[in-house]
Amino acid sequence: MRHVERQAETKPLTEPVLLILTSLANQPRHGYALLKDIEGLSGGRVRMSTGTLFGALRRLLEDGWIEPFEQVDTSRQKQAYRLTTVGRRQLQVELDRMRQLTRAGFARLRASEAV
Amino acid sequence: MKRAYQFMLLLYPRGHRDRFAEEMAGVFEEARNERHYQGWVWYVRFAVSEMTGLIGGAAEAWVHRQPSPEPLEAEPPACELPQELAEAQQRVDRNVAAMVQAIANHQFERARVLSGEERRARDTLQLVRQKYGVTG
Repeated sequence: MRHVERQAETKPLTEPVLLILTSLANQPRHGYALLKDIEGLSGGRVRMSTGTLFGALRRLLEDGWIEPFEQVDTSRQKQAYRLTTVGRRQLQVELDRMRQLTRAGFARLRASEAV
Repeated sequence: MKRAYQFMLLLYPRGHRDRFAEEMAGVFEEARNERHYQGWVWYVRFAVSEMTGLIGGAAEAWVHRQPSPEPLEAEPPACELPQELAEAQQRVDRNVAAMVQAIANHQFERARVLSGEERRARDTLQLVRQKYGVTG
């Protein structure tokens, strides 16, 4: 079982999953707030459908990367979600990976321009 | 549009529907209201995106379907279900799976027929559940 967990830790995240985790990084959000925030995060490039959003949310809940969060404001039936410790770690790992890749990419660009 | 969306939610496995259908419909409604004021081009793009997203999401949910981790306490374990009830549930599941398959193959006429059968099978299931006093 441990090797499965390790494999899951190093598996690159899909774009919807990465965007959802990033959106939840600073505060819990419900479905529609996630859609709007993701649209803003991606500069309007990603307009996620509800089918894609809730498919990703279901997988993240099953994996224990996010959890339901009871909001104080219960005037409307909206379920909010927040990152778990595991989800936060997964996001950190993915962002570190992207930072390394970005550094390597820029370094190579600079090297090719210098030639 | 909302009715069409709710109808298409039937494409999802029951576990997913029980957990997310109401929430999905609510989010869809909020997004639809917003797009409605942005003009018909945005609205059509939104509608196409939502419907294709639902079909893809439903197919993916069926592929990754898992047994519910929290079975309803009021229901007896599956192995102890009366034969009649188990068969009625299987009929509903088979119809939904066939409907997803038909839509994925663009056989919309067949999907419509299967939808009617699915509704009748669900009604039958409800009656059988009442007969055995099973709730949920």
